[in-house]
Formats: sequence, structure tokens, C-alpha cells
Amino acid sequence: MTDQEIKATAAKQKVRPRGSESAATSLADILNIVRTGRAETRQELESASNFGRSIVADRLSVLGELGLVDESASGVATGGRAPKLVRFSAARASIVVVSVSQTAIGVGLADLSGRLLTEHHEAIETGLDASITVDRVIGLIRWFLSRHTAGPEPWGISISAPGPVTLADLEPFMGRTPDFMPGWERARLVERLVETFGVPVWMRSSHDAMTMGELRGGLGRGAESMLFVRVGRRINAGLVSEGRLYRGASGAVGLIGQIALAGQGGTLDACAGAGHVEAAGRQVAEEGRSPVLADLLRRGAEITVNEVCQAAQMGDAASVEIVSHSGRQLGAVIASLASMLDPKLIVLAGTVAQSNDIFLAAVRETVYGASPPLVTRDLQIQRSQLSGSAALLGAAWIGTEELFRPDVLREWVLTGTPLQHPAFRALRDNLAKSEQRVSEDGGEGPDKAEDGVEGPDKA
Amino acid sequence: MKVLGLGPHGERASPPERVSLLPEDIKAARARGLRVGLAMHTLEGDWSTRVVRGIVGMLGECGAAVIDVIDCGFSADAQSAALECLRAQRPDAIISLPVANADVAEAHRRVSEDGIHLTLIDNVPTGLTPGQHYSALVSADNFGLGRMAAELLSPHLPKGARVGLIGYDTEFFPTDQREIAFRSWMEQNRSDARLDVGRFSSFADAERLAEDFVRRDGDSLGGLFVVWDTPCLAALRGLVACGSHVPVTTIDLGREVAGSLASGGPVVGIAAQRPFQQGEAVAKALVTAILGRSCPEWIALPGLPVTRDNVVQTYQAVWREVVPRAVLEGVSLVKPVR
Repeated sequence: MTDQEIKATAAKQKVRPRGSESAATSLADILNIVRTGRAETRQELESASNFGRSIVADRLSVLGELGLVDESASGVATGGRAPKLVRFSAARASIVVVSVSQTAIGVGLADLSGRLLTEHHEAIETGLDASITVDRVIGLIRWFLSRHTAGPEPWGISISAPGPVTLADLEPFMGRTPDFMPGWERARLVERLVETFGVPVWMRSSHDAMTMGELRGGLGRGAESMLFVRVGRRINAGLVSEGRLYRGASGAVGLIGQIALAGQGGTLDACAGAGHVEAAGRQVAEEGRSPVLADLLRRGAEITVNEVCQAAQMGDAASVEIVSHSGRQLGAVIASLASMLDPKLIVLAGTVAQSNDIFLAAVRETVYGASPPLVTRDLQIQRSQLSGSAALLGAAWIGTEELFRPDVLREWVLTGTPLQHPAFRALRDNLAKSEQRVSEDGGEGPDKAEDGVEGPDKA
Repeated sequence: MKVLGLGPHGERASPPERVSLLPEDIKAARARGLRVGLAMHTLEGDWSTRVVRGIVGMLGECGAAVIDVIDCGFSADAQSAALECLRAQRPDAIISLPVANADVAEAHRRVSEDGIHLTLIDNVPTGLTPGQHYSALVSADNFGLGRMAAELLSPHLPKGARVGLIGYDTEFFPTDQREIAFRSWMEQNRSDARLDVGRFSSFADAERLAEDFVRRDGDSLGGLFVVWDTPCLAALRGLVACGSHVPVTTIDLGREVAGSLASGGPVVGIAAQRPFQQGEAVAKALVTAILGRSCPEWIALPGLPVTRDNVVQTYQAVWREVVPRAVLEGVSLVKPVR
């Protein structure tokens, strides 16, 4: 027998797990096969899992009792009785998703399949104290949960953060706010969310979350290789390789805004980001070189990146030049990345990219002109259609991946809820003890939800 | 005025001027001989009438025929059926005001999958994205309207007042935005106030909620906000039934709430939308998209704050018609007819 034949024979033999440890393992394996759509019937499950019929039947019965799978629907009969379909119960619980950027926050609810069910976005002042932003996030989550009291309980909160979250910061259940941006560690975002809502919290950088959102629910669906570039005040990128998010050695992939541009006297952020567009727009307005922006200024309007991009779209020559310049600067950097990485798809997101066609045209022209023909032959450069939803959608997928990670799932599947995971229970106990110590020392206690008449601080 | 809210996917607002039509655009649209169907959440009330009038008028200028206008009666099932009915007529475009989020998502998705242009008013069903499923969303700045209503109510509230908030039970982008914004403004500017929140699923519920707010023992009601004018009228009936005269603010400058505002209350302020202009912007966005020009994902119109001092002028600006005599009498611009 060849090695291949030996492996094939071994795979055909049904594995027979024994003991409660292997029960958790097989439950986790079967749930993940069903959840990811690799099997839809018991027969397909037996084949995909290599477990025998009785093991599959027993585990499905347990998962059904826990509310994690549903076998009420029937498939199409192919001779004989129609098979029962095995479906993942995505509505068993919800995941709260949060995105925080320098200018806006978003909060929403997703189901366990990563589908975004509802969302709300609102602007915040640039430079707002982080603790005020955290208060607002907590208020909005409370509002969403009060709106969905009849819905499933939340099993976690997944956050898209406005700064890099390194691999060293990540744990299956986070108990400490990473130092992703000055001021945020003191705001105790992660700690306050765990204390207030009693659920696990996960966090990724916004460009990781948005890349994931674009990969799972946007233009990148099914893409094997994709470069995602978000153009805000900071310019960051996310990379998909072999259909998966690539995070690098420390989790800091994509900080391209910090690349110094030769001959431009600054970084990509400074020469092409939203801050540059805004400052250049204000300058041409003050100098009277842009009739549209000058008129806005005369009427007391604030010149932001939106006004400049809209003026460009309406044909204002000075604004067109500002936006084109920004696009060309970014295009030159993307051309280098494309030559190195050979992506199939490049997706541009962020206000500058999404509010007009001029920026996209300038990026395309530069990338196609400066990259090897072999790279650009089938390369598509598109504008994201997800706007701010990309971060929330990506956060939802990150939450589900963390919840159902085999090593994590095995520890909670027998209890039917991740809130009973031993590591998470220990984390909550530790946070409660440290809160108690702070309280005894005269500090503030954790937030408490109240019933009846609300103070306006509840949302 | 500046738009304060963000779009349903976090989009920054574009002004209606972004979809201005030039004579050559109108000429190109006329050459296409477009056929357009409308599926409105309701056709009852002043707001809907004016939005439809704005749409129909502007489409007429562009040579487009409106082949059907369906009243969905706030029912998700009725709207799904209405969209099926419109699809069967193979129009070039459908304009819809989705009555719900998840419940009407599939019906709207099928419209875009059929290659029919879809332009949305005020609300986006779950999972639909601009550019892919619909060309643009045109709405009022509902977040701004909610803040405006809070700001108008605040001077009439005693310190430490209990404030009733009557929201809409159905998940609906405009009313959710108004409620969140009202609460946020009170949190930031009137931290002494306490909110008492109730939500209606029918207008009769709004009347009962107002009565419940007033009759709560030992804690008098200091003011009331209702998320739009039609349920506000029901709530006013509830207040009258209890003999209450608490100050009230709402959204939409309907004829009857304008009368209450003009005659000195209980309505003390209204955050007004501009439905006629919104309807025109909807039609222009649709034509812009059909002509293959870049169309903003979210077009938003700022609201107008209305008090007794400017109710007549704002009413004229919003409705494009002479103010009802009762309103003129209320602000003493004419003498009552004997």
C-alpha cells in the first residue's frame, strides 16, 4: 500500500471517541462542521467528521438540547425518505459589535453566523476624552439590548479599535485594555464592558476588522488574495492571503500610513490622508482658489474632508486637484505593495475613497501605470460598498471565530454557553475582586443597569 | 444647517445639491422614457402626501411615468407583496420606503437582483448595501431632528423633571435615530432630567402610554417627546383625557400639531422635515443613478426647528401652501371669524 492509500483507509475507519473529554472534542468538531456549512445531513456529517453513526446521532442530540443545532427542516429526497437537514442555530445568541474610530462610533448586533442584524453609527468629536467615548459605547449597547429584550442573550462583545492590537495583547478572553492609542488604557474599555455586561470581549485593529468584513460580506467574498486600504486620517491596510487574514509576526500588518514618502517631506498619512485633504481644502478656500469651498467658508461652514470631496465630485477644480494628488500619492505606495504581493483585488475604503470617483481614478491610474503588467493584468481596484458596516461586520466574524475556536469551544460546549467557560469565569471573578478593592479604596464601582425610570445617561 | 447624523452604514451625509440635474441630464432622462413604481410605508398623513408629490413632479419633469403608487399600511407582508406586484410590471426603477428591516429585506433584494434600480427613502432593510443593492438612500437628518426636539423641550422642563419619551416599537432607522439623539442630548445637556420610555406599535398605544405617564403615582410628568406627529396626536388625546398640560415636542410639522403649537400648546416645539424637497431629491437621485452618474450613498436634508414665533413661515416653506386659518388665528395674525 502506498502512503496515500494507507491515509485514505485510515480516514474511512470511523473514529470511536471514549470519555467526557473526547465527548467535548467530538461535540466541538461536529458543531464546527455544521456551523461552517461543511455538512448538511447526518450522512454528510459522518463522512466529514469520520465519526460513526451512533456518535453523530448522540452528539447531535446533545447539541440539539443545548439549542446549538436544529434538525427540524427536511432536505430534498433522492429516492426514499427526505433527509433531515442539520442546521446551526445562529439565533441561539447574539454578539454585540462595536467600532470606534477617531471621528465616529458604531454599535450593532450580529447573530452567531456573523450576520449583522442591526447597527447605529454616530459622529464623535475628534480628540474626545476616551472615557466619554466608553460611556457612550456602554449607553448605546444598553439601548440596543433594551430594544431587543425578547431576542437572544449576548455571548460576547467584539470591538474594532482605532489602533493596532498586537498578537501579544490577544487572549481567548480579554481582561485588559491594550495600549492601542494614548489615553485608552486609562479608559478601561475592555474591563468596563466585561464588568457591565458580563460577557467575553475581543478586540482587533479597525483595519483588521474592516478587512475581515470586506472578506466575509463585501467585495472580497471568496477572494484568495486581497489588499484592503482604508483612507482616513490614518491610512492602514489589511492583507488577505490564501483566503485568510494575514496578521504578521506581531499583529501589526498594514501600518502603511507611516511610510515616509521620498521627496514629499512627510509620511503617507501626512501627504494623502484625510487630514491632508482637509487642510489643503481649507487653504484653497481661504485663498479664494476654490469658489465652492470659499462660498462655504463665507457662510460659516466648517471645511472638512467631506466638503472637499463633495466639491471635487461637483467639479470644483482646486478640490479635484487636492483629491487627485492624494490618490496619486497613495497609488504610488499601493503600486509597490501590489508588485510585491500580487493581489487579485484591492479595495479602497474610508471617506476620501468612498465619497467621490476622482480619488479612485487617480489611484487606479497610478497603480496600473507603476506596477508590472503581469501583476495588473487581472487586478481589480474597487471602492468598498460597506462604509462603516465593514468594521462591524468584521468584528462580528472575529467574535464568532473566537467563540468557536476548537480549543475554546471544547471548554464550554458541554455547558451550552461560553459564559460558563472556566477561564472566563475566573476572569470575571478577578475583575470583580479588583473592583471591590477599588470600591473599598473609595473609587467608583462598576456600572449597574437599573430598572424602571432611567437616568438619561442610560443611552 | 449641518447634518448631525451618520447614515445607516456610517456614511457621511451628502447634500441634495449633489444630485442636481442639468438640462442635458433631464434631456437624457426624457429620451429613456422611464417607468417607475412606488412602494410607500403609508400614504396617510401630510408627510407622505408631500414626499410623493415631490417625487412625481420631478419625475414628470424628467419624462418618467409613475406607473403605480402602493400604500403598504406599515405592514411588512403588504410591502413584500407590493414589491412583487411592482416587479411583475418590469419597471425601470422602484422607489421604496421600507417599513421594517429584516422582514422586508428579501423582497427588496429580489428587486435589485432583477436588475431594477432601487432607490430608498428613510430606511435600509437589513443586509442591503449601497451600490450593490440600492443606488441611494434619501432621508431627513433624523439624528439632528431628535436633538432639535430635545433642545426645543428643554427650556420648558423644570429641574429634575421626569420626561416621557414615546418611541416606535418597530426597528426603524428614522425613529431609532430620533430616539437615540433625543436621549443623547438630554444626557449631555440635562443630566438632571429622568427619562421614562415607552414604545407604541399602534397609535392607540401612544394614547395609553401618555395616560400611563401622567397617572404614575407620586411622580409628576414634566414633559413629553413623541417620535412623530401622528402618534403625537394620539398622545395629546391621552394628555387631555387626564387633564394634563405638560409641554410636548415632536417631529413633522403636521397641520394639527402646528395648530397646537400656534395656539400656545401643549405642543411647544416641532422639528420639521422638508418632505417636498426630500421627494424631489429622491427623484433626482434615481435619475442620476439611472444615467450612470456617481450617486452619493446617503443624501440627507437637515431639519427645521419650529416654535410659535416661526410656525407660519416654516409651514409655508415646508408645505408650499397657505397656512390654515386656525394657525394664523393662533398666532394672532388674523382675527377669529365670528
